[in-house]
Amino acid sequence: MESLYLLVPLAGLFVFIGIGLFVWAVRKDQFDDLDREGQRILFEDDDKE
Amino acid sequence: MSKTPCFHCGDPIPKNLNITSQVEGETAFFCCYGCHAIAEFIRGADLTSYYNHRTKLAENPSNRNTSRTNFELIQDEEIYPLYVFIDDDKNHQIQLSIRGMTCAACAWLIEKKLEQIKGVKSIHINLSSSIATLLWQPEEVTLTQIGQEIEMLGYEAAPYRADELDINQQQARKTSIVRLGIAGVGMMQVMMSAIAIYAGEIQGIDEGLKALLRWSSFIFATPVVFYSAAPFFKSAIRDIKTQYFTMDLPVSLGIGLAYISSVYALFTHSGHVYFDSVTMFAFFLLLGRFLEETARHKSTLDNKHRQELTSVTRINPDGTAQLMPIGKIKVGDLIRVLPGETIPTDGIIIKGESSVDESTLTGEYAPIHKTVGSQLIAFTTNIEQMLDIKVTAIGKQTRAAAIERLTERALSEKPKIALIANKIAHYFVICVLFAASFTYLGWSLTGSNEAYWIMVSVLVVTCPCALSLATPVALTTATNKLKKVGLLVTRGHVIESLAKSKHLVFDKTGTLTYGQFDIVSIDSNEKEKSLAICAALEAESIHPIAQTFHPFISDLKAHDIKNQVGSGVEGCINGSIYKLGNLNFVTDVSTNLFNKKQLIEANESSNGLTLYLASAKEGIIATIQLQDRLRDKVQETIQTLRQHKFTVSLLSGDTETSAKSILQPNDFDHFLTEMTPEEKWSWINTQQDKKHTVMIGDGLNDVPTLAGANTSIAMAASSDLAKTHADAILLNNNINSINDAIKIAIKCKKIIKQNLFWAATYNLIMLPAAVFGFVPPWAAAIGMALSSLMVVLNANRLSY
Repeated sequence: MESLYLLVPLAGLFVFIGIGLFVWAVRKDQFDDLDREGQRILFEDDDKE
Repeated sequence: MSKTPCFHCGDPIPKNLNITSQVEGETAFFCCYGCHAIAEFIRGADLTSYYNHRTKLAENPSNRNTSRTNFELIQDEEIYPLYVFIDDDKNHQIQLSIRGMTCAACAWLIEKKLEQIKGVKSIHINLSSSIATLLWQPEEVTLTQIGQEIEMLGYEAAPYRADELDINQQQARKTSIVRLGIAGVGMMQVMMSAIAIYAGEIQGIDEGLKALLRWSSFIFATPVVFYSAAPFFKSAIRDIKTQYFTMDLPVSLGIGLAYISSVYALFTHSGHVYFDSVTMFAFFLLLGRFLEETARHKSTLDNKHRQELTSVTRINPDGTAQLMPIGKIKVGDLIRVLPGETIPTDGIIIKGESSVDESTLTGEYAPIHKTVGSQLIAFTTNIEQMLDIKVTAIGKQTRAAAIERLTERALSEKPKIALIANKIAHYFVICVLFAASFTYLGWSLTGSNEAYWIMVSVLVVTCPCALSLATPVALTTATNKLKKVGLLVTRGHVIESLAKSKHLVFDKTGTLTYGQFDIVSIDSNEKEKSLAICAALEAESIHPIAQTFHPFISDLKAHDIKNQVGSGVEGCINGSIYKLGNLNFVTDVSTNLFNKKQLIEANESSNGLTLYLASAKEGIIATIQLQDRLRDKVQETIQTLRQHKFTVSLLSGDTETSAKSILQPNDFDHFLTEMTPEEKWSWINTQQDKKHTVMIGDGLNDVPTLAGANTSIAMAASSDLAKTHADAILLNNNINSINDAIKIAIKCKKIIKQNLFWAATYNLIMLPAAVFGFVPPWAAAIGMALSSLMVVLNANRLSY
C-alpha cells in the first residue's frame, strides 16, 4: 500500500497537466463549436471514396 | 401527386405539383422550385452525400429574408477594412454570418462547395455561432460570387464583424467552459478519494492513507470552490446587498460552509470532510446553467450588422443612381426601390406605382396598392414595380423603430415570474441559519465540546443541495425534451410560466396561417387548362399571388405580358388574349359577354380574394378563390386546448373579413381584429392581470406583445426582432407542438414539486435528528448525496 504515497500525488500531477491542456485548448478556440466537431469525423470518411 | 414530404425541406408538397429529380438513383419529390433548384445545384456539385449525412431537414428557401445584403457595398473604402483582414500572402480574410444551417451536414456542404471554387484558400464554419471564416484571393474570385454560391445552396450569407458585446460574450462563454471543465475533473478526482474514505470508515483504514486521501481531495476541491463556483458567491453577495434572496444564497452557503468546515477538519485532524459533496454540487449546478446560457446565446446571436450593410440606391440630383450604405442616407434624399426589395426607410412615393407587402407591420398578407403620394413604411416589401421614394424618416424616427421602442417599454414592464425555487430559498435560508445557531448555542450551554461538529452536521444535513438541484435539474431535462418536440426555450422562466398558462393568444397571419396565398377553389369547365393559362401569364412575376400559380407552369408560353398594378395581368397565348385579375379589369375584354347578374353574384360571393380569368373570345372562363391557408392541425389544436379549459384568443392586425374567411370566431373566446401593435400590447396587459397568458406570434407588429406577455413564443419563420424578444421559438412551426410543450411544462412542474417535497421532507426528518446529535457527519454526507441523486433520477423521468 506504500506505493499509494507516490501514485496518488503522481496522479494528481497528471490531472493538473490535463487541466492545463484543457484550458489551453479552450483559449485556442478549440471549444468554440460544440455542435459540429463531434460529427466531423463521419464526414471526412466520405472524402476518400 | 405524392404524399411524401419535400425531399429537400420536408414541407408538405402541394396537390397537383410534380417536381422531381433523380438523386442517387432514387426519384425525389419537391415542394417548390426553390428546393428543386437547390437540390439540383447540390447534385451538380457532386455533394449529394449531404442528404445521407444530415440529421435535420433543410429550411424551406421561401422562409428567407427578402432584404439582401450587398457584397458590393463592402468594397466601399471606409467599410472594407472594418470587415476584411489582409494577411502577409495577400489573402483576404472575412467572417460571414450564415443563416439557414440546421445541422453539421449543412456546414459540411457549404465548406465543400466553396472549396471547389478557384480562389477560395480556406473556409471554416463554426456551427454553434453560424459564422464562417473565409480566406480568399480577390483576383481569382469576388466576394459577390462566393455569396451567390452560398445562396444557391439555400443559405444566406452576410459579412460579419464582432462588436464589443460579441467579444465579451465569447470570452464569458470560454470562461464558463473552463469553469465547468475544472468542476467536472475536480469532481471525478474527489469522488475517487471519497469512495476510498467512505470504505475506510466501514472497513478501517490506515491513518496515513486517510490523511493522504483527504489532502488529495482538498487539493482538487479548492479550485472548484474558488474558481468554478465563484459566480455563485458573486451573486449571493449581490443578493445580500439587494435584500432579495435567490437560490444562489443557500447554494453559496452550502458550498462555503461545507468547504470551510472540511478544511477545518483537515487541519485539526477531526470531524469529516465533505469535499465530494461540494464538488458534485458545484458541477451539477454549473452544468444546468451552462446549457441554459448556450440556448439563449444561440437565439440572440443575431446578425446585428446586417442593418449597417443594407444597400440603398440613391438618386443623385443629377439623375444618376448610386449604391450606398443605408447609414449615408438622409431625410429628403431620393431613393430607388426595385421590385422584391425591402423598403429601407419611411417615405413618400415620388415616381412609380406598385403593390407593397405590409404584412410585417399589419398582418395583412394581401399586397396593398401604392401610387404617387402614398406613404411607405420601412421594412415592408415592394413587390411589382420600381419605385422612387422621397425619404421622410430614417433610423430611430421610422415607424418600425417606434415599434422597437414600444418593445423596450413592454419588456421593462413585463410581469416578473416568481420562480418557486427562489421563493422557497428566501425562507429556507433564514430557517437554516436559525436552526444552526440555536443548535450551537444549545449544545454549548450544555458544555459539550462536540457543539461545533453537531452544528456542522445540521448545516450539512440541511444543505440545500437536493433542494437547489430540485428545480434546475428538472428544468434542464425539460428544456431538452421541449427542444425535441420543436420548442427552443431561450429564457429560464418559460417552463414554469408555461405550466401556469391558462390563456393562449394567437396572431393570425404567419402564425396560425402560412401567410401566403393558396388556391382554395376554382370554378371552371377546364380547371387544368385554366390553371396552366394563369401560370403562363404569371410565370415571370414575383408577386405573392403570381407565385401561387407557379406550380402549374406547363408548356404554355405567354407573350406580350402587360402588368397593371393592383388590377391584374394580360397576355397573349397561342394567339388569343387572356386577362387574369379583378372583375373590373377582366371585364374590359369585351363587356357584352357578361351579364349583370353573374357579375353581382360573383362580387357578393367574394370572400378572401377572387380572381377571374377571361379570354377575349369566351369571356370569363375561370373564377379562382385565393386565400391564406391554415397551418396543419390548427383547428384540432385549438379545440384540444379549449377542451382542456384554456382560453384561446385571436389577436390579429388583419381586417375582420379577412380573418373570418379562414377562421371561425366561434372557435375562439376572444376574436379581435384590426389591432395596432400598441392595442395588441395593451390588450394583453389587461388580460394577464386575470390569467397567465401565452402569446404566439411572428410579425414585427407582434413584437411589443411578445416582449410584454407572461410567456411568448415566436414562430421559426418570424422576423428577427420577434425571435429576439420571445421567450421561446417554435422551431418546427407546428402549432400542435404548443400542446405538447404545455404538457411537458406541466409534467416538469409536477416533478419539481415532487423533488422539492422530497428534499424538504428529507430535511425536516434529518434536521431534528442532527440537532440532537444523532447523525454523525459521514452519515449526513451520504444522506445528502443520496437525496441529491434521488432528485436527479426523478428529473430524468421527464425525458421519456
